[in-house]
Amino acid sequence: MIEIKNLHKSYKMGSNSLHVLKGIDFSVEEGELVAIMGSSGSGKSTLLNILGMLDAADSGEYVLDGVPIKDLNETKAAQYRNKFLGFVFQSFNLINYKSAMENVALPLYYQRVGRKERQDKALKYLDQVGLKEWATHLPSELSGGQKQRVAIARAMAAEPKVLLADEPTGALDSKTSYEVMDLIQKINDDGNTILVVTHEEDIAHMCKRIVHLKDGVIVEDKKVKQVRAQQYV
Amino acid sequence: MFDRDIWQEIFHSIRNNKLRTFLTGFSVGWGIFILVMLLGSVNGMQNGFTKQFNDDATNTIFIRPGTTSKAYAGFEKDRRIQLKNDDIEYIQKSFEKDHEYISGRMFRNTSARFKSETGSYNVQGVHPDFQVIEKTIVANGRYINENDFRSGAKVAVIGRKVAEDLFKEEDPVGKFVEFNSLPFRVIGVFTDEGDDNAERNIYAPLTTYQKIYGNTDQIDQIALTYNPSYNLTKALEFSGRLETILKRRHLIAPEDQSGIRIFNYAEAFSDISTFTGGLSFMSVVVGILILIAGIVGIGNIMVFIIKERTKEIGIRKALGAKPSQIIKLVLLESVFITALSGFVGLLFATGLLALIGPNMDFPAFSNPTVSFSTVVIATVILVGAGLVAGFIPALKASRVKPIVALSDK
Repeated sequence: MIEIKNLHKSYKMGSNSLHVLKGIDFSVEEGELVAIMGSSGSGKSTLLNILGMLDAADSGEYVLDGVPIKDLNETKAAQYRNKFLGFVFQSFNLINYKSAMENVALPLYYQRVGRKERQDKALKYLDQVGLKEWATHLPSELSGGQKQRVAIARAMAAEPKVLLADEPTGALDSKTSYEVMDLIQKINDDGNTILVVTHEEDIAHMCKRIVHLKDGVIVEDKKVKQVRAQQYV
Repeated sequence: MFDRDIWQEIFHSIRNNKLRTFLTGFSVGWGIFILVMLLGSVNGMQNGFTKQFNDDATNTIFIRPGTTSKAYAGFEKDRRIQLKNDDIEYIQKSFEKDHEYISGRMFRNTSARFKSETGSYNVQGVHPDFQVIEKTIVANGRYINENDFRSGAKVAVIGRKVAEDLFKEEDPVGKFVEFNSLPFRVIGVFTDEGDDNAERNIYAPLTTYQKIYGNTDQIDQIALTYNPSYNLTKALEFSGRLETILKRRHLIAPEDQSGIRIFNYAEAFSDISTFTGGLSFMSVVVGILILIAGIVGIGNIMVFIIKERTKEIGIRKALGAKPSQIIKLVLLESVFITALSGFVGLLFATGLLALIGPNMDFPAFSNPTVSFSTVVIATVILVGAGLVAGFIPALKASRVKPIVALSDK
């Protein structure tokens, strides 16, 4: 599903150049649930941004579902993001003046899905995350865990090839974190490919594979026995 | 553009940011309001001026004799010039094609009496043509005609005020009134829109008054109208010729300005139209400057909005919004706000003008209105303004990097 070869990325900081990714080789099969771990500054967020086409690599190859991601202009990148990727952020990033349902329907709007169908789909995904009753509520009326579940529903609504989650439990307490992870595991059980960036060991062990990043290189890449979050809920 | 969803987005963002939207819209609405009021006011001034001069035919020329200021042709200076009947005949013959109506004028004071009512009035001895020159409206009876003039009949056309003073409730037409103890028959009553003072005048045949005052052929003033098909240049050229020839006839030095004065209305009118033209040009310039201030204001607020919405735009882009869709969103919002608020300003301004305009009637200011074309142009300016004001912020918005917008750190 994801094929990365010798990826490099550096940022210019004034006259200095900060080499963040120093040759990453990495691939993800369909249906995997991968945790990307590392301390801050290890390059894990940069890697996720490049995977999410929010940022471009300096050199190296990136193939997503057989499509080479290279020299994208803004419009093309937007199209690919919409078609291939779903995002879940640490701070949820819901649009605060839109109801839960409208938030979930937004990626569908950019896919040019018709109004009625959009609403039906949004409701369906809200139902999947257990928030159908909260469809008309604004994000400000939801708890943190609920917000993240809306965000996950939104990411899933576009039916992406890969779900990218950047510290999805970073702003939640442990009980809510496990609820969110439980949801992510269930989505993965349905065959969806998911990448989770985290620095929490217990969250990482709820995935099926852990990739450790340190100083811009992968230092460890291992399969783990998945801990089900269900038992903590 | 007619996508229902994009409008929903716009209404959403407007509804959730009422103060912001109000402030933005107010600057544009105010700009348009001032522009329209300004144009309306200039129009009102124009109307006022025109109305003041419209009292008389606009193609009138007055010839007034004076006293020479230069010795010439054997005459000393300070000689009084006197116009006579043959001057009129001479002009009629020499400028047959150039003039339309011509009349002599003789000004005298009279104390008038009807029954026990008396009053002192100005009487003008005139030709029948003078009705057209002065645009006198006879409300009751008739004006002086050729027969009255030829026979030197003792008839008079009196102003409405004179009729009110002397005749009270009675109908003056056909009654006899005494002017300096001589009986005159009232043949008509006239009204004058210009002012009440004009209605205190009395007109009588010039010949009659010449007979009464020593059987002379003297006249105080000549009024004539030039051929109405003449444009300004031709009219001025005609009055120039008239001046030259009359000076020659009365042996006045050609450069002597005071021997005979010719006052051509065309001249005054050209001055006024230049003046009001300049005024409306100025008002358009000022109005546009005000509008620019409004546009800059909107641009400013839009830039601020974009800054405030950076995160939201970042989210939209992460979810797959194309740059063009972002531009469209911001641009449409800006156009919508400007157009709507400008329209409200326009409505207020035209409404106010329509309401108070007809009641405004001062000597130099009357019925300020705006034309339909002004309204259309203002509307076009509005939409253009919205586009201009929204364009740079929209471009800025489309360049928001989702990664920067979404960074939590």
